[in-house]
Amino acid sequence: MSDVGPSSVPSGAPSTRRPPAPRLPWPEPGRVVLECRGLSRDLGTTVLTRVLSNVSLRVHEREFVSVTGASGSGKSTLLYLLGALDRPTEGSVLIDGQDASAEDDEGRAVLRSEKLGFVFQFHFLLPEFTVLENVMLPMLRRGARSSSSVREHAREVIAAMGLGELEKRRPNQLSGGQQQRVSIARAVANDPRIILADEPTGNLDSKNGEVVMSVFESLVRNQGITVVMVTHERDFAAHASRQLVMYDGEIVEDRDQRA
Amino acid sequence: MSRVVLFIALRQLWDRKLLNGIAVLGVMLGVIVLIAINGIMQGFQTKFLDNILKISPHVTIFDKQLRPAPPLLARYADDFVTARVSHESPSDRQLRISRPNEIVRALERLPNVAAASALLNGSAVVALGSKQYPVDLRGIEPLTQDRVTPISQYVKAGSYRPLANGEGILLGNGVATRIGAKVDDILTVGSPLGVSKSVKVIGIFDSGIPPVDASRVYVSLHDAQTILGKPDVVGRIEVKLIDTDRAMGMAEQVERMFGYDAESWQETNANFLALFRQQNTIIGFVVGAILMVGGFGILAIQIMIVLQKTRDIAILRSVGFHRRDILVAFLLQGFLISLIGGLMGDGIGHWVLVALGRLKTKQEGLVKSEYFLVYDDPRFYFYGLAFAMAVGLIASFIPAWRGSRVEPVDVLRGQLG
Repeated sequence: MSDVGPSSVPSGAPSTRRPPAPRLPWPEPGRVVLECRGLSRDLGTTVLTRVLSNVSLRVHEREFVSVTGASGSGKSTLLYLLGALDRPTEGSVLIDGQDASAEDDEGRAVLRSEKLGFVFQFHFLLPEFTVLENVMLPMLRRGARSSSSVREHAREVIAAMGLGELEKRRPNQLSGGQQQRVSIARAVANDPRIILADEPTGNLDSKNGEVVMSVFESLVRNQGITVVMVTHERDFAAHASRQLVMYDGEIVEDRDQRA
Repeated sequence: MSRVVLFIALRQLWDRKLLNGIAVLGVMLGVIVLIAINGIMQGFQTKFLDNILKISPHVTIFDKQLRPAPPLLARYADDFVTARVSHESPSDRQLRISRPNEIVRALERLPNVAAASALLNGSAVVALGSKQYPVDLRGIEPLTQDRVTPISQYVKAGSYRPLANGEGILLGNGVATRIGAKVDDILTVGSPLGVSKSVKVIGIFDSGIPPVDASRVYVSLHDAQTILGKPDVVGRIEVKLIDTDRAMGMAEQVERMFGYDAESWQETNANFLALFRQQNTIIGFVVGAILMVGGFGILAIQIMIVLQKTRDIAILRSVGFHRRDILVAFLLQGFLISLIGGLMGDGIGHWVLVALGRLKTKQEGLVKSEYFLVYDDPRFYFYGLAFAMAVGLIASFIPAWRGSRVEPVDVLRGQLG
């Protein structure tokens, strides 16, 4: 995990939102790890509104996908469906080959625990737990490691995010950027195949936003993790190897940025 | 239940010490009240019943025949006979138990019978100087009667022994006080149908039941028969049982065997027992209501916490925690609140009972005591804890269920939390 954190960000990272150039080449994408077919979602109680309309998408291993679009374009809805947090009105979602739409609540919880990691805009850390405990909780729930191994691994991940000295602090004792890095550490700790990030920089200044981007890039390049990031900021979207643009619940542009 | 769920529950409990402390306090107070009120009420009831069961017989056989012999003319119902029917004066008909000694011996051979004794009782008046006082005169066979109702244990002044020789009178404490009698005083005892007799006060007893002590006096059976004008009459047989709870069945058996009306101590004290039952029901309602209030405290606080924690629940669910983990985490918190509250309530409740038991007071009503009457029964603590846990679990189920139904996507979309 030592090459994951902000320390791996090029030392001369600019303070503007422009991505650094020249960029390192992206690794070749692998097999499909996330797929949706004919995905639609209606929202509302009395009057139903179609917020996602017949979206089909394939995301590969080692891809860093950004999803941009105006407010209400359906990008967050797509992310929640891809993350098995919501059920589609129509269509299906395959996570690492497993049909999430066919799973019940418990099955989807297991999928989230084993295959996915989430990063949200407002960090969403549990306030009564320390940094270390926040990172440990998903691993403890999954139960794939012993307690001592969980602690050890959590420390490694936290250290890789450059937060080693803050592991005993509570979230309210951290800055916004530090909190977001803790939430990335929590997402990464369970060794997920895919990280889904919903506006991870939305609550950060540009400097901390760049740090988060460099962490995501590093995860894709060095650990082969797939990242799908929803953002409304085009500068951060430009960090991704593939950029999707949504409009009115549909993907209107799918651009490969590896070149 | 996984350890991580327990860890989350404990941490969330600890992190909201004030709120959860208030919930614990509510449960604790409920349990203390349950223990204290039950201890006080049972203290009084137990003391009363203990005294009653010592000083009163467990089964009493009366001189009323249940199957009286048919009239003599009944045997000639189908024949013509000439008969002169003389009216029998009611005063000539002496109610009595026939062959009392045989009945006593037969009773003592029955299983569950510890002792039986024949006696005669009636209303009389004792007089000392110018003071007269109506009493319940009991003529007993002192040695056997003492095995049924151990009067000798309650003698506070003088001695019970002379009564065995057919001498003297034993006065209840209240009777002695009313007429100002002391041991060795000579009293006159008389009744309307018998004769007056001068007897020496050989002792004064104090049974601890003021109504008994204020009305009862004991003389020998022979003296009672003389004073009441009922020579050779036995009006009652009193029975002491080994298992007092079987007194009602025993009374029925005795009625069937000997044909005399018999009454168990439960029937004799039916009014008091009914009163106690009513008291216990009222206490049950009061304590139940107090614990319910404690339960509503848990409910309100847990619902508040669930509403505050909606976002955290969404996080936990999104990182792989199951609905049942959330349910168990909140149920565990309710369980722990009631367990801690229940145990603290048990501890403080015990202390309250001990303190009340040491409280000096002068009680003279149905029972007499110098101290506050309390009964420390281990079952109170068990009931307190069990009731607290049940209330806590039921109260925390609603918020726990609600928490487990939180859809993370609703929180993330901003529709909840």
